[in-house]
Amino acid sequence: MKVAFQHANVLPGRTWNRLGINDTEFRAEAARAVPYGDKAVSLPAGVTLSAEPFPAEIETGMGKEAADFVEKNRNCGVSLRVAAGAKPERPVFLPYELDGARSAVVDENAVVAGEGSEVTVVMSYRSRADLAGFHGGLTRLYAAKGAVIHLIQVQLLGDRCAHFDNVGAFAEENGKIDVIQAELGGRRALSGVKTRLDGRKSRLNMDAIYFGDRKRSIDFNYVAEHTGKKTASEIHVSGALLDESEKTFRGTIDFVRGAKQAVGHESEYNLLFSPRVRNRTAPLILCSEEDVDGQHAASTGKIDADRLFYLMSRGLSELEAKKLIIEAQFRPVTDRIPDEKLRAAILEYVKVRLNGLESLG
Amino acid sequence: MERKKTMVRDIDRTVYDIKDKVNPSYQVREGLTAEIVGEISKAKNDPAWMRDFRLKSLEIYNELPMPGWGPSLDGLHMDDIVTYIRPNTPMRGNWAQVPDDIKNTFERLGIPEAERKSLAGVGAQYDSEVVYHNVREEVRRQGVVYTDMESAIRDPKYGPMVKGHFMKLVPPTDHKFVALHGAVWSGGSFVYVPPHVKVSIPLQSYFRLNAPGAGQFEHTLIILGEGADLHFIEGCSAPKYNVANLHAGCVELYVAKGAHLRYSTIENWSKNMYNLNTKRALVEEGGTVEWVSGSFGSHVSYLYPMSILKGENSRMEFTGITFAGKGQNLDTGAKVVHAAPHTYSNISTKSISKDGGVCTYRSSVEILPQSYGCKSSVSCESLMLDDRSRSDTVPAMDIRNDDVDVGHEAKIGRISDDAIFYLMSRGISEEDARAMIVTGFAEPIAKELPVEYAVEMNNLIKLEMEGAIG
Repeated sequence: MKVAFQHANVLPGRTWNRLGINDTEFRAEAARAVPYGDKAVSLPAGVTLSAEPFPAEIETGMGKEAADFVEKNRNCGVSLRVAAGAKPERPVFLPYELDGARSAVVDENAVVAGEGSEVTVVMSYRSRADLAGFHGGLTRLYAAKGAVIHLIQVQLLGDRCAHFDNVGAFAEENGKIDVIQAELGGRRALSGVKTRLDGRKSRLNMDAIYFGDRKRSIDFNYVAEHTGKKTASEIHVSGALLDESEKTFRGTIDFVRGAKQAVGHESEYNLLFSPRVRNRTAPLILCSEEDVDGQHAASTGKIDADRLFYLMSRGLSELEAKKLIIEAQFRPVTDRIPDEKLRAAILEYVKVRLNGLESLG
Repeated sequence: MERKKTMVRDIDRTVYDIKDKVNPSYQVREGLTAEIVGEISKAKNDPAWMRDFRLKSLEIYNELPMPGWGPSLDGLHMDDIVTYIRPNTPMRGNWAQVPDDIKNTFERLGIPEAERKSLAGVGAQYDSEVVYHNVREEVRRQGVVYTDMESAIRDPKYGPMVKGHFMKLVPPTDHKFVALHGAVWSGGSFVYVPPHVKVSIPLQSYFRLNAPGAGQFEHTLIILGEGADLHFIEGCSAPKYNVANLHAGCVELYVAKGAHLRYSTIENWSKNMYNLNTKRALVEEGGTVEWVSGSFGSHVSYLYPMSILKGENSRMEFTGITFAGKGQNLDTGAKVVHAAPHTYSNISTKSISKDGGVCTYRSSVEILPQSYGCKSSVSCESLMLDDRSRSDTVPAMDIRNDDVDVGHEAKIGRISDDAIFYLMSRGISEEDARAMIVTGFAEPIAKELPVEYAVEMNNLIKLEMEGAIG
């Protein structure tokens, strides 16, 4: 099947077309999405599968084209309900392995967390290194009053895979959406996350790491829409670009009128390792409410020479020092992944990719 | 604790709003057609190349789409705009010869006085033509040329220089309104500073649009020779009418090796003005361009001075302030292209929105693949004074090599209660604390302006504090 979106990851406030940052195209050839199989998901107590409709109309980060595609072509995914007050001891794991028979995964997921509940959902996407696979995902999150949803998405697909993750989230009063995304593989990877902080004191915490090497192209669109009073968003992205990889990051904090005393912080930290990389950034703050605090900071460049010198003066080679710095950059985020094996897999993946990379040396 | 609002007064525009009786010696009818463009060209006695250039620009204008981003231009109807109005006087080199009504307007704006006190030369444009141009004798003796564009085009010595640079840096294909400029441009200034000449006091051009429903399309071309130094000041204003006025000027700055140019603008158009101005500088090796920009007027502005750092070790600084009040949608910022290694850019902006005004900060920083060792730093701060207003920050960066150091910071918010509390704990009254904070917010920009303009700006932003802090 052909996958094609004309306008995905649309920037919430348009700017000069010349910069090519207003939106992005997504094209992929994928095998037919055959049913992924009935591998039973093991659900902890307090979490059930549900056929009920999602409680709200919400927008997603990548937009409608991508959402419609998944709804039409889905071959897997789960719709989860977390009972009010439930705090399951273990996360819900949704591991997807792409292989020859199932090289296309199109998953539609929903997590509706009842009042005062707290749940962790871990999704991972992996493939054989040489597989020309495709993953397209749609995940909707709803945190009722005081509920907390931790969503962890880890993408470690091979270099010939195309991938997108389209997320939409909604938080009621005191609800919290906590998303970790690790975009580490694939040839073309898109991610869009849009969160509406609707209830008073609802919060978003968004941490992302990315890793670009060879000819990988990564494209992000993160939007925090503050409509509720005293809402807070934190969006932090960091990553490394090597070889001929490229990355576009759009991050928007949108303070809608009435979102009094809302706070939004956004930061981006990019390490560049090759003269052929391309890094594009559009950090927006849209504001129609006066009583807010919005801040953004971005820093892009090479590894700090002093840091490198310090590590090398302690006996590390330049390559080892650079690897250590990249690992240190990812560590605060990977450490929050509640699965030893997945954590180790991420660090191992990055380590292997860094070995023998001339642009690092 | 009860949270109250700070009152910040609107800009006092009385002096700018005085209208003269419209008394042109010649004007074209409204609208934009090849006939009208031909008529302007004929009236201006253009050389053949310029006439062709105008007609070509008109074709481009007709082909290009309206911008698909930025504030709405729905209220602007080209069919209603008079693109050329010649005032009832030829250009003079002595204020005494300028007709009284026009001279009085510039007197009220303080231009002749400023010329006597602190400027090396002045150009004054009224509607479509320059009515006064003069440069101090000692500056002229240094070989500095400061004249109106029309005289420069026809000058045997500088004509070819103008032809070689005119709309080469900002080609009419760039966007719709610069194509419009290419078709109907009139007036503006030409400056040439020979190599290694340093002009110690500023030159100033002032643009006044008096006629309702008219457009002003002046062209400013500044060429600095190697190692030259100049400060150029541009001021603009117009009285308020109920019909839309249009300003689509174009500024082209050529900064040669090791030269330094400071370009300061205080824009104070009336609130019926569509200000769609295009400014660009090309900076050669070791050269510097500094932009100082204050945007206070107009109904809608699209204004983003662009610097192309073409030579190694060239640099740009942009310092800007934008104040949007009721009925204003001001989309301002800066663009920079690092096209050579070891180039530096620094963009620092402040904006204040109140009373339903909309400020948008928009910028782009591009670092090309061959431009290693570049540094860029962007900082923008926005102050919202009420919740009827809007303030958006839309920066973009495109970095195409790894040997760079690029930083960006943006902040948005209200006056901090903590800052007020701190000042009050030091014995300062709440009233004064408020005044200090808002003035302090604008201070980094004010100190970059020439003294007369800093005073004007402080008058413009008449910040009057009442009630408690909000």
